[in-house]
Order: sequence, then structure tokens, then C-alpha cells
Amino acid sequence: MIRRVVLAAGIAVALLRTPSVAQERSLLPNRPGSLKFAAIGDNGTGDQPQYDVAAQMERWHQQFAFDMVIMLGDNLYGSQQPADFVRKFERPYKVLLDSGVKFYASLGNHDNRSNDAYPLFNMHGERYYSYARNGVRFIVLDSNVLDSPQLEWLETTLRNANEPWKIAYFHHPLYSDGGRHGSEVELRVKLEPLFLKYGVNAVYSGHDHIYERLVPQKGIAYFVAGASGELRQGDLKRSTTTAAGFDQDRSFMLNEIAGDDLFFQVISRTGATVDVGVIHRKSTT
Amino acid sequence: MKRGWREALPYYPLLPVGALIAIVWANTAGESYFRVAQALAFPVNDIGVAFGLASLAQEVLEAIGPGRALHTWRSALLPIAIAVGGTLGAAASYAAYLHFTDEQILADGWRIACGVDVFFCVALARVVFSRSPAISVVVLFAVLSDVLALLLISQRPFAAGGDAGAVALIFLAVAASTLLRQFDVRSMWPYLIFAGPLAWIGCYRSGFHPALALLPIVPFFPRGARTPDDLRGLLHRHARVAHFETVFAYPLQAVAFLFGLTNAGVLLQGVDTGTWAVLAASLVGRPVGILLAAAAFPKRSFRWAELIVIAFIGSVGLVFALFLSTSVFPDGPLLTETKLGAIATVVGGAIAVGAARVLRVGRFA
Repeated sequence: MIRRVVLAAGIAVALLRTPSVAQERSLLPNRPGSLKFAAIGDNGTGDQPQYDVAAQMERWHQQFAFDMVIMLGDNLYGSQQPADFVRKFERPYKVLLDSGVKFYASLGNHDNRSNDAYPLFNMHGERYYSYARNGVRFIVLDSNVLDSPQLEWLETTLRNANEPWKIAYFHHPLYSDGGRHGSEVELRVKLEPLFLKYGVNAVYSGHDHIYERLVPQKGIAYFVAGASGELRQGDLKRSTTTAAGFDQDRSFMLNEIAGDDLFFQVISRTGATVDVGVIHRKSTT
Repeated sequence: MKRGWREALPYYPLLPVGALIAIVWANTAGESYFRVAQALAFPVNDIGVAFGLASLAQEVLEAIGPGRALHTWRSALLPIAIAVGGTLGAAASYAAYLHFTDEQILADGWRIACGVDVFFCVALARVVFSRSPAISVVVLFAVLSDVLALLLISQRPFAAGGDAGAVALIFLAVAASTLLRQFDVRSMWPYLIFAGPLAWIGCYRSGFHPALALLPIVPFFPRGARTPDDLRGLLHRHARVAHFETVFAYPLQAVAFLFGLTNAGVLLQGVDTGTWAVLAASLVGRPVGILLAAAAFPKRSFRWAELIVIAFIGSVGLVFALFLSTSVFPDGPLLTETKLGAIATVVGGAIAVGAARVLRVGRFA
């Protein structure tokens, strides 16, 4: 009898820890024609947890067919020889890559500069670049070296962007309550005025090995998603700027932009939803 | 001993004041600090520091000319050897440290570890050695190390796309200075007014660090001889009224304060790989390089105990390493990490004094 109770309790816990996709899929609208993308950061360890997160991404992709993944830097840790690109990128995300999902990388402090030439990162040899999809302008920055040419390029790109949504992503967070690194104030002073001037809606970063959603700062949504391979357990030091966070396991983000809404859902390594919500874009007309 | 410390008061006393204010400000109201620091960065680092380096170059030229304090090449050979050894040691250990971590993005930072804070090192040498010839060795070693470091950073890694043709302006500035010297112009102002801007614009537009702009024209400035006592005693007393370092004495104090204020403000939580790489290079690599170079030197007039102390005195990069870091990395996390390393090299000074005590060197004998 006791064994049965223990077994039933174990099954119940297991079910709670690994909710089925069907249970959670309604959290994103999953509308036809919307832009669907995932976000991962600090992922390239080549260790089992990275593979576990990648397996969850595959699993969710079956129900929520995102066709691109934004990479928030530290795409590869340690050695970065051709074999490492296989072990730390191509193998874990093989199913996604084979099904046509495109990865768009930004460079982190652990990435070699030459990685911008790796074809599957779609950087085309540029350490900062921009692309547009379904009315969304993505701005990818190299926050390691934020020099004058990059800032000039950023201003020109933002000025010329006509898309209703503007999303920037790069490795070092302008706002973060991660205990290890925290906010990069020096970068913030340079980037935030441009983001405000040209109406950037959301900013994604990694570097701190946690997930955090910040209270919108001056109207901009900020996410830290740096736990898709590495993890610094318990490193989130919640403050008044923390809207939500998760620092107990690895995670990745699902995102969907439909009209004036950006829906997001954050999934843990075990498949649990750890944050969910929607950001409404203020119409400029 | 007290007299030693009093004599060793910082050459630029307002610099540490500015630096202290910057560190407190950056860590309490970061956003306002970085806004101010970034606004000051160009006038201070690209213009003000040009005058600071010119003053340093003037001091050196006055000390190494014929019949002057550091003119005898035999006495200069050891400092040259240990400067080269120290630079190689620092660079090698920086690279080795990065090899064992995995942040090749910091690779350019090896140049930062090559800088030596001349004024701090000389002050420290005077504290330890009083009036020993070791002070002259430290002066020349530190200056030569910094000349090497300046050569290494002369082309800014992040200033790509410079106009190579603008280098002609630097040559034009040298030609103008030569002409002024030919006409025996005794005032430094025509050199500064006519040749200075040409050299600065030439450096700025061609991608060379503009802080180096006055160095090509300093050799043409009017100057006077420097005796060994000027170096071993009060470094500054020989100056004549019309000399560059005298005229700019007070403006340079303001520059030093602003330099500390602009560059030393770092978030203390920014300690990361770059910090440890600079520290490892400065506190381990450079002393080892210095001692290996000294070991290879055939005739040494110093005991090993003295050389060990000199090696640790030379590990302090501080202000010069801060300057080099702003030349190697733009504002951002890599700069923060390496700046913290530069500031932390001050620990080398404490190690040097501790080593002098233990090994009974200089005043501690």
C-alpha cells in the first residue's frame, strides 16, 4: 500500500515537473502568420544540460513552430575548434537545424571573434548586424566592443528602420539583478538613449546565468536569458526592478509577435513554464 | 622612514583624489558617473594626456642627453634589459592566462600589462632605496617599459579605418619643429601652437592615439640638463621657468585629477577574467621577466635581493595601465575588467615594500 502511494506521488510529481506541451501551448496565441522565435543564451557548454534544453526546444517546436532562434552570446565555451561547433552547437540543435530553423547569433565574452564567419550563426562575417522579419527589425550588437563605428551604425540602422517592432539583442545586460555580473551601466549610458530615441521595444541579453524579466525601464522591456547551458543557481538577487525570474535550472524563451503584442513563455530544462506574459506595443500613430 | 614617505608624495597628488571620487561615484550613482566620465573621456584622454606624456618625455630627454643623469650607456644596459624582459614576461603570462581561461576576446589586452606607473614606481623606489643608484635604474626601466608600451598601443585596435594619408600631417609637424629649432626659437609656444595641432590632427585622423601627438615634437622643445640628484632627490627641482614642465605644472595637476576622475571609476562587481589576466601579467609575469633578463645580464651591480625588490616595484601599472586600457578597449565590460586589474596592480607596491623588509634591502637593511 505504502509503495503504491509513494509510486503515485512520484508519478504526480514527475507530471508536475514535466508538463506536457498540450498543457502549456495555449499560453502563446500560436497564431498563423505571426513571428515565432526562441531565445537562448550562454548555451554552448556541450554538456548534458545544454542537450536537455535543446531537447525541450525540439519538443515545443513540434507544437509551436518557431522558425528562428536568437542567440544571446557565449554560444561556445572553451575550445572552439571545428569539432566543438559540432558538439556544442550542431549536435544539440540538430533536429531544429534539420527542420529549417535559423539561428542568429550575437557574440559573448567566451566566443571567439572569428565565430561571426560560422555559416550556421548567420552573422555573415559581421560582429554586429541587423535583419527584418514579419515587421520586426532585429538589431544584433557586439557588446564586448561597443566602439564608435558600431554606435554610428546602430544609430543609422535605427533611424532607417521602418518596422513597427524593434528588438535589440546582445550579450551583456543593460539591466540585470544577477549577483555575479549585474547591470552593465557603462553600456547602458551609451545604448539606452538611442533605444529611447528610436523606439526600441524589447531588449534581450544573457551573461548572467539566470532568467530574469525586468520591470520595463523607461518603456522598454528587458529580458536576461543566460541560462540555456550554463547556470548560476540562486544568483538572482531580486530587487524592485525584478518582474519575474528563475535561477533554479536552465531555461529558454519562446516568443511570438502578433500585431501589437509580444507574447513570451519561458520553459525550464524539465519543461516547466517558469514565466509567461505579453508586452503590448504602444502604437506610434 | 617617515622622511622617505614624505619625499615620495605622489608626483600628481590630485590624481588619487580624482580616482577615489570616481570609484565611489561609479559604485553609488553609476549612471550619472558614466555619463560625466564619457563626456570627459575625449578632452581628458585624447587632449589632456597628450600634455602629460609630453611632460614625461621632456623629463626623460633631459635625463638621457650627453652628460646627463642617465647618459652613460653602460649604466643604461641593465634597465634596457629588464624593461624588455619585463615586457616580454608580462605579455607572455597574459597570453598564458587567457589560454587557460577561454576568453580570447580579451587577447588585445596584453598591451595593458606592459605599462609601468613611472611616478609611483620612482616614489616607491625612493621609499625603499633612499638615494641608491637603484633609483636611476628604476626610472630608466619604467620609462623604457612605457616607451615600449606606447609603441605597442600606438595604433588603436578599435580605430580601424583611419586615414593613412593623415600621417603626413605628423611629418609636417616635425618639419615645422625642425624649422623653429633652426631659427633658434627659445620659447616652446610656437612649437605647441604651430606643430602641436598638426601632429594631433595627424594622429587622430590616421588612427594613432592622439595622446601621443606631442611626442614627435618634444625633442625640439628648449630644455636644460638634469643631474643625477634631480632623479635621486626631488625629481622636479631643476626645472627652468620657461620649460614645458614648469609652465604646465598646474594645468597638469588639473589633468591628473580629471584623468583619475574619468578613468578610475569602475564597478567593483566588474571583476572578471580580464582583471586576473592583467594582475597575473603584472605581478607574476613582469617580475619573472625582469629577473630572467637580469640573470642573463653578464655584469650586475645589484644583489639578487635588490633585483627582486626592483622587479616588484616595476609590477605596478596603475595610472599608466589605466591609460593603456582606455587605448586598447572602448567603454564596456572588457574595459571595466582590465581597468580593475590595472588599479589592483598597486598591490605590487605593497609586495615590493614587504620584500624589501624581509630581504633587508635599502632602508630596511
